[in-house]
Order: sequence, then C-alpha cells, then structure tokens
Amino acid sequence: MPGAMLLILLPIVATLLLRWFRSEKMQYILLATTVVLLSATALKLYFSSAVLTFHFPHWLELFIVIADLLLLLYFLWQGRRFDRRIITLLAVIQLLLYGWAESVLPEEGGAEVVVDALSTFMFLIINIVGGIIVVYAVRYMSYEEISEEKKRLFIAYLLLFLSVMNAVVVSNSLLLFFFLFEMTTLASYLLIGFRGDETAQKNALKALWMNQIGGVVILLGTLCAIYGYDTTRFDALTGSVGGTLLLCVSLVSMAALVKGASIPFDGWLLGAMVAPTPVSAILHSATMVKIAPWLILKLSPALGGTGVGLLLSTFGGFVFVAASYLALSRTVFKEILGYSTIALLGLMMALAAIGTPETSILTMVLIFFHALSKAMLFMTAGVVEKLHHLKDIEDMKGLIETAPKSARFILFGFVSLTLPPFGLFIVKLFAIEEVSHMLPAHPGLFLLLLSILIGSTLLVLLYFKVTAAILSRPSDIVGLGHEAMPSGFLLPLAILAVLVVFTTIRLAAVQQVADLTLFFVPIAMLVLAPLAYRWMDRFDRVKCYHCGEKESFDAALYYYEPTPKIRVAIYTFFTLLFVSVALTGVLS
Amino acid sequence: MTTWFWIVMAPVVGGLVYGGERVLRARMQRRQGPPLLQPFYDMFKLMDKRTLVIHSAHALLGVVHFLVLWITVGAIFFGWNLLYIVFLHLFALIVLVIAGYSVRSVFSQIGANRELLALVAYEPVLLLVTVGFYLYAGSFYIGDILHHSGYLSQMPLLFLALLVILPIKVKKSPFDVVEGHQEIVGGVEVEYSGFFFEFLYMARFLEYIFIYSFVFLFGGADYWLGALLVIGTFILVNLVDNATARVRAADMVKISYLLALLLAGINIVWMLT
Repeated sequence: MPGAMLLILLPIVATLLLRWFRSEKMQYILLATTVVLLSATALKLYFSSAVLTFHFPHWLELFIVIADLLLLLYFLWQGRRFDRRIITLLAVIQLLLYGWAESVLPEEGGAEVVVDALSTFMFLIINIVGGIIVVYAVRYMSYEEISEEKKRLFIAYLLLFLSVMNAVVVSNSLLLFFFLFEMTTLASYLLIGFRGDETAQKNALKALWMNQIGGVVILLGTLCAIYGYDTTRFDALTGSVGGTLLLCVSLVSMAALVKGASIPFDGWLLGAMVAPTPVSAILHSATMVKIAPWLILKLSPALGGTGVGLLLSTFGGFVFVAASYLALSRTVFKEILGYSTIALLGLMMALAAIGTPETSILTMVLIFFHALSKAMLFMTAGVVEKLHHLKDIEDMKGLIETAPKSARFILFGFVSLTLPPFGLFIVKLFAIEEVSHMLPAHPGLFLLLLSILIGSTLLVLLYFKVTAAILSRPSDIVGLGHEAMPSGFLLPLAILAVLVVFTTIRLAAVQQVADLTLFFVPIAMLVLAPLAYRWMDRFDRVKCYHCGEKESFDAALYYYEPTPKIRVAIYTFFTLLFVSVALTGVLS
Repeated sequence: MTTWFWIVMAPVVGGLVYGGERVLRARMQRRQGPPLLQPFYDMFKLMDKRTLVIHSAHALLGVVHFLVLWITVGAIFFGWNLLYIVFLHLFALIVLVIAGYSVRSVFSQIGANRELLALVAYEPVLLLVTVGFYLYAGSFYIGDILHHSGYLSQMPLLFLALLVILPIKVKKSPFDVVEGHQEIVGGVEVEYSGFFFEFLYMARFLEYIFIYSFVFLFGGADYWLGALLVIGTFILVNLVDNATARVRAADMVKISYLLALLLAGINIVWMLT
C-alpha cells in the first residue's frame, strides 16, 4: 500500500514545493526527482505483483463526500456563470443522484482501494509517460508569453492530474470512482480553458458538459448496483450473476465511451487542442482517455460473452473505422493525431469488451504502445509549433529538410503506430488472429473483425498521407538543414523513442513466435539503408520529371471530406448506438 | 533445397509470367506482340542505361521494396503464416509509398497516393480471404491450408471477391489507376531509371507471384486444380483488361467495397452459420 500511496501523494507534494522552485534549473531538479521516484515506484509495484487492498477510515469517506459536493456545486456555478443551461442541468441531476446514492448507501466490508495487476500496469504508463510529459512541459511553457506564476500553475495542474489518475486506477468503489472521474473532468476543464481566450473557454465548457454525461451514467449505474446487489464495489459487482447486472455494467461502461471521446463525443477531445500542447500529450497518451479502456477492462469479467459486451465491441470497432475516416479530412496536425487517438481508443475498448484473457492482454499492450507513440507525436507537434511555428500539415511540406530532427521523430512515431515489428502492429495482427479464432463460436464478432481490417488500412492511409508532406524533397544535392532542438525537448523525446524500441524487442522476445522475427528484417533494411548513401554518390543527380512544363508545380495532399449529409448520418448513427448500449442492458 | 531454388528463381519465374502475359494480350488483340523473353531483354537494356537518381533515399527505398517483396514470396514458398505474409506485403507496399512521396514530383506523389488508395481497396478483401482460409482449414499456415481441399465449394464468393481485386494488384484495367501510364506516366515508377528501375521492374514480377498464390491456394491439396484456377484467372484477367476502360481511383475503392467486400463478407457469414 505505501507504494500506491506514494504515487498519489508525491505529485501533490511536488506541486506544493513548486512554489519555492522559481528558477528553471531548480524546477528541472524538482520535477526530474519526482518523475524518477514515481517511475521507480511504479516499476517496483509492477514487478512485485501482489494484490493490495485498503479500506477507507470514516473521516476519509466524509472528506470525499464533502469534496464531491463542492465539486458538483462548482460545476453548477460554472454553468450559471457562463449561462450554459446544460451544464447547470447536468450538475443538478448529478447532485440529486449523488444525494440519493449516499442516502441508500449499504454498509459493506470490501475495500475501496484495490491495487491489482491492472492498476500497477496503468501506474507504469501514468507515471513514466506522464512524467516525461511533465518534464517536457517546462521547456514548452518557457515559450509561452505568460507570467512565471501561471507557468508554474500549469505544471502544478499536470502534476495533480497524475495524482488523480493514480488514484483512479486503484479505485474499487463506484462512488470513489465517480469522485475521481469528476476530478479528471475538472482537470480537463481547467487545462483546456487555461489560455482563457474565447475559444478556450468555449471548448472547456464543451468538455465539461460532455464529461458530465459520464458522471450521470456512473451514478445511475451505482444506484442500479446498490438496489440490485447491495454493493458499490467493482469486484463485488462484476462477480455477481443474474438480475439487472448487465444494466448496471452497461450504464457504467457508457461513461467509458464518453471519457474515451468515442463518436459522438469526439468534440471535447478535439476541442482540447486549443490548450498548450503538453495538455494534449498528457490527455491523449498517459491519462484521461485511458480511463476508457481501463474501465472496460475493469468491467470485462461481467461483459465477456454477453450482448452488452458484443455491442460495446462492435461500437468500438465502428468508432475505429469512423474516426479514421473523419481524420482524412483534417489539415491540422494535432487534429489528425486526435482522431487517430479516438480511433485507437475504439479498438482498445472493442478488444477489452470481448473479455477473454487474451484480448485483455492485447488491450493492455495496445494501451502501452499507444501511450508511448502518441506522447512522442504530440510532444513533437509541440516542438514544431514552438520552434518552427507550424501547425498545418500543408505547411509542413519538406519538414525533413528544414527540421530533420522533428521530422524523424514524427516519422518514427508513425512507423511505430503502423509497421511491424512495433507493438501496435503486433496487437492488430494478434487481434485479427484472436477474433478469427473466436469467430466460429461467436459469429457476432464478425463486424468487429471487418472493422479492424478496414480501420487499420484507413489509418495507414492517414499516417502516410502526412508522411508525404513531411518527406517530400526535390533533391539531395543540398544536404539536410541543421535543427537546433533544445535538450529540454530532445531528451524527453529521445527517452520515449528508446522506450519504444526497447519494449518492442522485449515484446517480441516474450511472444516467442519465430515468424515474428521475420518482421525485423524489413525494418533492419530501412535502418541500414543510409549506410549505402556514400556508395550512391557515383550516380548522377537529376531533377524531377515535369512533363515538359516550365512552371514547377507541386502535388497537393489528398483529403477525403464526408459530405454534410454523411457527417450527420455518422453522428446520428453513433448517438443511437450509444443509447442502445443502455437499452441492451435493460433488455438482457 | 528445392524451396530455396524456387525462391531464388522467383523473379525469373515472375518475369516469364509477365512475358507470357504480354504475348497473350497481343494474341487477344491479334497483334504479333513481343517475344516471351522480352522482360529479360528489357532488363539487359536497362543495365546499359545511365542511372539518374533524384536522391539516395528515394533510390534505395525502391531496392528495399523489392527485397521485402522477395522475402514475402519466399515466406509463401516456405508455407508460412498467410496473415503474416499479407502484412509483410503491406510493409513492402508502404516502403514504395514512402519512396513515391519522398520526391517532389507530381506524378510520383499522385502515384503514391493512388497506391495507398489501392491498398485501402484491396487489403481488407485480401485479409478476409485469409480469414476464410483460416475458418475452413483451422490454420493460417499455408502448409496446413494446402492439406485440405474443397475451398471452392465452401468459399465461392470469396474467390469471386479475390477476382474483383486481382486487377488492382497486377495493375490491369479497369483498376490500373495506380500506374495510369497515359495520365501519370507510371506513377511512382516515373522517377526511377536504369539500375534502380530494374528493381521496381522485378518487383512487379514478384507481385504476380504473390497475388496468384492466393488463387492457387483455392485448389487446396489438389495442385492441378490450383494450377487450372491460376491459368483460368490469368486468361480472364487479361480478357477483362482488354475489354474494359480505366475507372477513377475513388470508384475503384467504391467498387471494391460495394462488390468485393460485400461478397467476401457474405461468404464469411455463410461459413459461420
């Protein structure tokens, strides 16, 4: 228990200390120490593999109730303040439901906090990847034109976010989870609105009301669990059988769809782009949206093999395809990354909802590698934005010449998201194998299989479309430019890249499928190809073929824009699908 | 040992198939046509040409593309996991796409983009065919797949789906937008010359072997049936090539999804019930 306690308390301590660490150097020392301690603790817990439980003393319970009420009242106030009726309404509904749940709360023994294998696994991602992003944020914020006070506040928010996330993944009580869920909502509300301009405020409010829907369904699920099974514990709930179990589980899992920004809730995560880039990096990779697959994994013992589980899987599969498709019309680099996150979250939830041990492991591997690669990509997006003032992929043409380091990190990010032998590819491969294997017994999974096949090729199209912009060079007569990247950017990125390579090799070693080594050959060829560059000097260089045109012209990137009709159809379809999750819960 | 021999000879065999195809097409059009060995004469001629390069990475990626395709074909001859083979092939294609994008040539970039679109069009179908084999044979390994027979009666629609997407892979009308000689002068190929173009030229031979292997697998344990299917398909594809006009890239994706994917999907569902 002390380990998990440390993970929750240490970021808070660091936040408090931050007041006295004014110079940049001191901040780096403080943050680096914190992150190393957090990572070491997370690693130690991960390898100790003992299940720990913790029962809350009465005063802590009371404290959480009061904090919860204050939080909801704060949301209510924000709704009144910005005159958003939906926020006010959702806050009132939550207050009523919360009061109701508290008044009928059963006396029960089970522990509120359980640190199991899933929690320690999530610790790894939250603390290592999240920690790296926090360190990166120091350099990033030094480019912002705001007061030192506010910069430190920003770092403090990020640290608190890590603390909350560490608490989320150990919560075993639905009401505790509700509180922490609302805390992450608060965190995203504050971070998205950080810049304080009009768009930031608007998007922050959007994130607030969408996430509040998640809060409502969790409370409904809690009430269902209290009335049906006399419990608010995850393990007790997923361990029960019969009755209204599926309704309770389906209600809670709907919160995952909201947090995971599945369509139709993609708006809030896309809106989060207005915040400073470390926010996107931390939301998309280590924290926040990863609550979604975590929650489904937590509920998967009750979901596996049921109608609700199948529907969630299919939902996730469809999101995988639809989000990849919607991304093809985007030009802003971060938005493209955002949609690909939504797509891959869909895949994670889809695999998690199948609920077999194999698919659970696949989900975890997917969560892990996605966190590493997405953190790297978003951080590079921030670097390109701050050093080269580029946000749009149309402007990034030839980035490999002007900013070779950033370009290489982006390329490596894409390669690690799509190509063998990297983790995401392996997961997709094994997912196809696993689902095909289950198909004869569960024909309903066919739609998921189809979605995985189509979605993965769409993502390939997406990533390599962006690659097109970055790579295009007229010739190599003039060498690549030199990009001076501050070590505050370079080091965190390099650490992530090394982690990707290292964990990929480890993954391949663990799998012990001999054929997988086959996939190392092509990537080795790509890596070794530059060794032949000198030998290439013997060949003459030539300009590109322009078909006799005197004017030089450039090929545009391709965009695949859905018509407004199709767009409406997609959103309507997914809204209906979202509602039908609860309906399936009622019916079964 | 013989397996290794055939792997080494794969580009030669593919070249013969390609030469044979040109003869066949000429006969269909009542032309004299080139001799069977024309692809090899072309190769010798290319060796004499002065090699011009846009930039090193671009030229070398063409070589890597060829080598990865060769490994893919080798894996087929060794009877390995079909699913892995499809993805290895995907890797080879991605290398080519990156190469196409890496130069500031309009034709090359449009070609690379169409290459990706083609990938979106055929990849899911190819994977569904693979899943079909798995459902029937209980294994993804080509060695195991070839031990069973009766695929045609169980997977007729999947075979049709494969026929629909096959012209994309061998760059034949109506799905030859990727290459589109008259409009984008060969697409990705256009910026390669001499020594490095040879690799792209040979890669095409290997593509033939890759995609016709899928046709052959439908014969299962009956190798003669497999061979017959390959020959029949070969003639049919060329007949269609002669008889149809090129469709647009977007329509290629639509046709593939509305026809091939639907057929494949129906077949899989039918196999499951």
